[in-house]
Amino acid sequence: MKPEAAALVLGVLPDAVIVWTTLGNVVHWSDGARSVFGYATSEAVDRSIVELIVPDDQADEHHRMVNETIVNGGAICESVRRRKDGSLVYVDVSVKKFVDADTGELRILSVEKDVTHIKVLRDSKLMDARFRDLLESTPDGIVMANPTGYIVLANTQAEKLFGYTEGELRGKPVDMLLPERYRHAHVGHRSQYFLQPRKRAMGSGLDLSGLRKDGTEFPIEISLSPLHTEESAFVLSAIRDISERKQIQKELQDSNAELARANLAKDHFLANMSHELRTPLNAIIGFTGTLLMKLPGPLTEEQDKQLRTVQNSGKHLLALINDLLDVTKIESGKVELNRELVDCNAIVEEVAATLRPQAESKGLELLLTVPIMPLLLHTDRRALSQIVINLTSNAIKFSDYGHVHLTLKQHTASDNAAKTVEIAIADTGIGISDEDQAKLFGAFSRVNTSRQKAPEGTGLGLHLSQKLAHALGGKVVCRSELGKGSTFVVAVPEI
Amino acid sequence: MRARILIIEDNAANLELIRYLLESSGYEALVATDGLEGVALARREMPDLVLCDLQMPQLDGYGVLKQLRADPICHGLPIVAVTAFSMRGDEERVLTAGFDGYLSKPIDPEIFITQIEVFLPAGLRVRHDSPTGRREPSDHG
Repeated sequence: MKPEAAALVLGVLPDAVIVWTTLGNVVHWSDGARSVFGYATSEAVDRSIVELIVPDDQADEHHRMVNETIVNGGAICESVRRRKDGSLVYVDVSVKKFVDADTGELRILSVEKDVTHIKVLRDSKLMDARFRDLLESTPDGIVMANPTGYIVLANTQAEKLFGYTEGELRGKPVDMLLPERYRHAHVGHRSQYFLQPRKRAMGSGLDLSGLRKDGTEFPIEISLSPLHTEESAFVLSAIRDISERKQIQKELQDSNAELARANLAKDHFLANMSHELRTPLNAIIGFTGTLLMKLPGPLTEEQDKQLRTVQNSGKHLLALINDLLDVTKIESGKVELNRELVDCNAIVEEVAATLRPQAESKGLELLLTVPIMPLLLHTDRRALSQIVINLTSNAIKFSDYGHVHLTLKQHTASDNAAKTVEIAIADTGIGISDEDQAKLFGAFSRVNTSRQKAPEGTGLGLHLSQKLAHALGGKVVCRSELGKGSTFVVAVPEI
Repeated sequence: MRARILIIEDNAANLELIRYLLESSGYEALVATDGLEGVALARREMPDLVLCDLQMPQLDGYGVLKQLRADPICHGLPIVAVTAFSMRGDEERVLTAGFDGYLSKPIDPEIFITQIEVFLPAGLRVRHDSPTGRREPSDHG
């Protein structure tokens, strides 16, 4: 065959015809080579054949084939090549060595036929027979692709997910299930994945979208796992439509934001309410005070008595506002606990010193029993102090004679439980019936009639104390018998 | 010499209460019913102490504080917030903002004067050695 005729044949052949030197430098690159691998002749000539089209993991195999050709004169094999765009192709390779007539140098001639599609269909048949039934049994869409990125098997769930008819996905590039913008990166990822395949869990990727046949997109989660068979390596993708979950997530976020806004509005409302209630009370308590101080002039005994009633009622209303705000704060989890090392002896002693005048003015003795060594506990000083004040002033309020006795001790638990401190407030008052004890800690619960005579109670003191004790991880308990006095014990653990 | 004390308060009853208490104790009270008027009066009269409500129309207590602190003459005036904002954290907020003191409403009329006298130089405090030494308030301060 004349050289012109040979060139003509090479030009029309759909297969790649490539000639390279023993060093691997390309000296001839046919039109067929361009269509199979994507490089134009000018891009390929003088470059290394290995760098151009041999994937990293195929280099050893390539060198083996070339050596065999030099030794035996020729070789035939099936191989994987890398195209210019990074995608992989299957080729049937037929290699021969020859001596260049002009230079007398040894050359390698390779004719490479793209069998990607044929191989995909063949693999597809094999995989279908072997795995179809198994894959149909999973709830997720499953797509199996070969290293060149073609779908060899898709289960019915996957077909439905992406809107294709039965068997329509077989032999198609897997890229078409992805929106255009992901495809370029995907080719690289896929080739890399076959070099280092490993199982990747669902959702370990980023926010991914799938592309349906009708062009619409939907959020998906993909997990990849490698599958090695005698024929080839495949990648198995389990695909889940997470539209619904995304929707729920969004709704949850929205309602959380809504809740936060409502909470903020409530805090704002409480702050304003407190402000608006205090403002008129300022004038009521203030001017009652100036009158009782006799700044404008002398008062009759009856005027003094009536004004004191106004003053007490005003102060009661103020206490009520304070307690209500405290309860609201605790109930909405807004109470800020400030954990510090607290000297419990000091707390009990301070409360006793503050309330002793009140007790003594009623003729009550205020007794104190504390350990010799200061009892230290990590807790919130202010909350603990408030509980002890509330319980002690209740005890004074509801006892007409006798004493109020504060006892501080460390609770000795049988096991090695956390350190717990107990403060007991015992009075010699009238006591509380079992029936009343049950409702003692409710808001505005008033127990037996004789207790109602104390006007300064807000009805929230015990309720608040119990809530505060709970916030500290402890509790308040009541031990009482009608006619024999009451003992309230607050027990709080280390926090 | 007795101190001149400026009250800035938009609520008429509360303004009257504080004015009455101050004058009963022998102090001269200047009154303003909103923040803008308060700042103008402070600049013109240079009082010895400013008692200022927080929530007011036009210019609130924090605005008054800011303007007076930025004023070349009034910047050193002691300014005490007298406010019905008394939830946990309010006092800290007020003091952090730069007020010299914080008094919550309702005020206690029996100790109010002692509380504000802390912010007056000793020479400007009225002596209350005996209850009878208290003066009756006069219309002209």
